[in-house]
Amino acid sequence: MSDLAYIDKYFKKELTQAEITEFEKKINEDPLFAEEVAFYCSTMQAINDQLAEEKKKQFRKIYDEGKLRSGSKPAAIRRLWIYVAAAAAVAGLIIGWYMFARPASIQDLADQYIEQIEIGVKMSGNEDNLGAAIRLYNKDSLPEALRQFEMIIQSDSIAETAKKMAGIVSLRLRDYDKAIDYFTQLENLKLNYNPGKLYHAIALIKRNSSGDKKTVKQLLQQVVEQDLEEKETAQKWLKSL
Amino acid sequence: MNNSQGSVYKTDEELIENLRQESSLKRKGEEQLFTSYTYFIREGMHKHALSEDEAFDAYSDTILSAIEKIRNGSFEGRSSLKTWLYQIFHNKCVDLLRKKTTNKHSVHQTTAINDWLLQLSDNGKTIIQKLIDKTDWGFLKQKLNEIGDTCKRLLTLSAEGYSDKEIGELMEYKTADVVKTTRLRCLEKLRQLYKRP
Repeated sequence: MSDLAYIDKYFKKELTQAEITEFEKKINEDPLFAEEVAFYCSTMQAINDQLAEEKKKQFRKIYDEGKLRSGSKPAAIRRLWIYVAAAAAVAGLIIGWYMFARPASIQDLADQYIEQIEIGVKMSGNEDNLGAAIRLYNKDSLPEALRQFEMIIQSDSIAETAKKMAGIVSLRLRDYDKAIDYFTQLENLKLNYNPGKLYHAIALIKRNSSGDKKTVKQLLQQVVEQDLEEKETAQKWLKSL
Repeated sequence: MNNSQGSVYKTDEELIENLRQESSLKRKGEEQLFTSYTYFIREGMHKHALSEDEAFDAYSDTILSAIEKIRNGSFEGRSSLKTWLYQIFHNKCVDLLRKKTTNKHSVHQTTAINDWLLQLSDNGKTIIQKLIDKTDWGFLKQKLNEIGDTCKRLLTLSAEGYSDKEIGELMEYKTADVVKTTRLRCLEKLRQLYKRP
């Protein structure tokens, strides 16, 4: 058994008590073996650091989006506390209206739609890779899934499912610019069923940058006027803009 | 529970259960946990005089540490999730302040204490920690990006705690043994790359 295999067994807790004692003795007595153990631990730590960095980036996006939505900064909130008591009664009434009478915002509609997107797999020459990528997506290994979809796109210029999925994964990872890029590629493909324009609009709604609302409206109008897929959804959303 | 940014879950138990899943619920659970207590960031700014970015870092680290502890069963639920999280967050803020005041010129260490060492005896831990301290983290991370997508995916899933059997299902390997052999080959490949001057 190689040193790395032996070390792996130790950290995966696959050694007996006697073997564990032997393992620890070897660390004390064999400097080269100790270096191998240190390399194993450093590697695992380096990978976990990278994962943590990815998650922190994700958290940052969520946090920034939350601030954008609330439209206020923490410093401003500090000064608001004295008004809170007076506003409480009014807020009750507003919340009541908000809960029961408020029409859904375009952001809410887009969020609901994203939750309901079904993952249809159209098998092609890349079915093994595509299946593996979708499996990663379903297991929520999103960065891994995205890498796999992107590899498929590189090897197949059409790859409609991979483009659609790469866009959806990018949406879920809140990388809206990338999602817009993939959905634009998708909408330009000639397919029997192509929801690319609507998905493009969703990515713009989520990005919510200056000028995006205008483009969303244009895209939704095109879906309706050209009688494209998801026409009814587009009609409904246009009313919320 | 209805939190500050709109994510909704019913109880602490439900959230903890989501975090322990190996499915889409896991990521959702992580995001729910993060969004539930973001107001801690403001508290970090006011009570500990941290900048928003510093308080955000302390809060993110709190959530990542909590996720890990919940998964490995360290959180026993003797206090509420909020109380427990706040304690971790408070400690992170105090640590950050201490670092700011006593180590202003030290190099920022991105790597936390190596959790993998916890299994070792005290003596073994000391020896390995000294060797780990010599690690060239930048170089190691660079080499990690050179071992190929499949290798990196295998090692990442393994470091995340997936068993070889689970990795086999995710990546379509026939058996857990094949996963293990391939994974160890990848590790060896990285070892060789890291050894090269």
